[in-house]
Amino acid sequence: MKKAMVKSLGTGLLLAALAAGCGPKKPVLHIYTWSDYVKPELVTRFEQENGCRVVIDTFDSNEAMYAKLKAGATGYDLLFPSSYMVKIMNEQGMLQKLNPEWLPNRKNMDPAYLAMAVDKEMEHSVPYTATITCLGYLGSRVENPEPTWAMLDRGDLKGRMTMLNDYRETIGSALKFLGYSLNTLDDGQLAEAKAVVLRWKKNLAKFENEQYKTGLASGEFLLTHGYSGDLMLVQSENEDIEIVVPREGTALSFDDMVIPATAQQTELAHRFINFILEPQVAAELTEYIYFLCPNEPSYALLSDEIREDPILFPPPEVVAKLEMIQDLGEGNVKYTQLWDEIKAGE
Amino acid sequence: MKPSRLPLVVTWAVLVFFYLPIAILVIQSFNSARFGGSWETTSLKWYRQLLNEPSIWHALTNTLIIAGTATLASMVLGTSAAFALHRYGGSRLQKLHYSLIYMPLVLPEILMGLSLLLFFVAVNVQLGLATIFIAHVTFCLSYVAMTVLARLQDFDFAIIEAAQDLGAGWWTTLWKVLVPMLAPGILAGGLLAFTLSIDDFVISFFVAGPGSTTLPIKIYSMIKYGSPPLINALSTLLLLVTFASVAASQHLTRKDRAAAA
Repeated sequence: MKKAMVKSLGTGLLLAALAAGCGPKKPVLHIYTWSDYVKPELVTRFEQENGCRVVIDTFDSNEAMYAKLKAGATGYDLLFPSSYMVKIMNEQGMLQKLNPEWLPNRKNMDPAYLAMAVDKEMEHSVPYTATITCLGYLGSRVENPEPTWAMLDRGDLKGRMTMLNDYRETIGSALKFLGYSLNTLDDGQLAEAKAVVLRWKKNLAKFENEQYKTGLASGEFLLTHGYSGDLMLVQSENEDIEIVVPREGTALSFDDMVIPATAQQTELAHRFINFILEPQVAAELTEYIYFLCPNEPSYALLSDEIREDPILFPPPEVVAKLEMIQDLGEGNVKYTQLWDEIKAGE
Repeated sequence: MKPSRLPLVVTWAVLVFFYLPIAILVIQSFNSARFGGSWETTSLKWYRQLLNEPSIWHALTNTLIIAGTATLASMVLGTSAAFALHRYGGSRLQKLHYSLIYMPLVLPEILMGLSLLLFFVAVNVQLGLATIFIAHVTFCLSYVAMTVLARLQDFDFAIIEAAQDLGAGWWTTLWKVLVPMLAPGILAGGLLAFTLSIDDFVISFFVAGPGSTTLPIKIYSMIKYGSPPLINALSTLLLLVTFASVAASQHLTRKDRAAAA
């Protein structure tokens, strides 16, 4: 009885294995990205146009993704890290050079944004979305709003404000408020910025990176420091939320598409990047995720509401004051020390 | 002396503390607002959207497959480990064995996750469901072993000897005497292992391969940028299934419990 069972089980497994091996296999593209970051309909379209399957895995932070890949995890063909992480990964030799012949649509990239990117020639990365850090507030609860970092000094909002729990973003906003570059290494300027942040800290409820959106929507917070895409997402649900870009200037960040050195489906990955760079696709993406895809021909295809949005398309004087957060190498220590002092200080 | 009401009050306070967040989770799943700050309209919108979200179901399937298989494997391995530890506990080998079994219980998860990843990379194993399975068995078996070991302390080995006296071979002794007596301990350990496996995030994140995202990983990445109420809806469904199965098992065993009482 037992022998018969083992025999039949064995044959069954063998048949299953053979069956799995047969038949035409579609190539599979493995993408590692943020949650909800690519419109599903676009993925389906890409699958149909290229006769392949796309498997999307998600991560929650650049650092976690980096740790995993650095430790040796393979199998991903396309990654979507933020640009500061791209620089680090490139220096570690974790990325492949992109083949420009396979990316004919790269000419669609908006030169104004490309000029601010780290990898201007798109040698190893192509910008996916651009986002600016701004202030979001509840229009009905905040009187006399002004597009400036000085809003964080207001006593009437004391205890109902948050700032990002990111040392570069928060110290950077203080530097911008004072008129300095947010990549400065000048000790005097940094000391001034520290004083400003400590002053703002008295008004803060907390430093928060994710829950400020829900806090703003529920009225727990009246003024939050956050990313344009996230704030626009909450704004689409809650009409009362207003967003302003401070006139002193703010941080610009990109999320890029990169191909890891260990990728298997290199050509398919290139085709996906090229697909994203099509104007129609970029326009649909911008409308779906509320982050700007810096694709010039796509702007004409956007709806009026999106095209005239001052956060996605800030006026030229604001664009002139945008700055990318650069990796400062050794100089990073100054900022981390400052952040420790701010967090511990009163 | 009048009986104090304090125990009752404390019990209610603890129950409320445990269940109020879950109740809010369930209630919010019927709120059509994406960021739950205020009540928009009462609707089944998220349940409908859940049906069209293949990535979540894929993650749930992965989680259940891994939890199921890891639980079975760790029940077998954990019981054997506990038996060896109890029977031959004095020897130096078993003392070493005990500290090895104990280690996953006290090691930080991130250490385990990262070291398992480095190990898999070193032996050139492709990351995927299999690697998550191996990782989960590693820590689940410790929990099962500890639970069964506790149960073995009260175990009277005279019964085994009696069975052998009566002519039972080792296979019969195992399945007809040992396992039924240890069954409550093994099942308790198995349930614990199942829960831990479903819940695990850190270790799974590091050893998951492309396409083998588990539910905790998916949920965690949705906090950054996604629709949290979808998870509320999924959790409510999972809660319904759990409560239904517990109610069913209570109903099925009520005669046994009445007989025992």
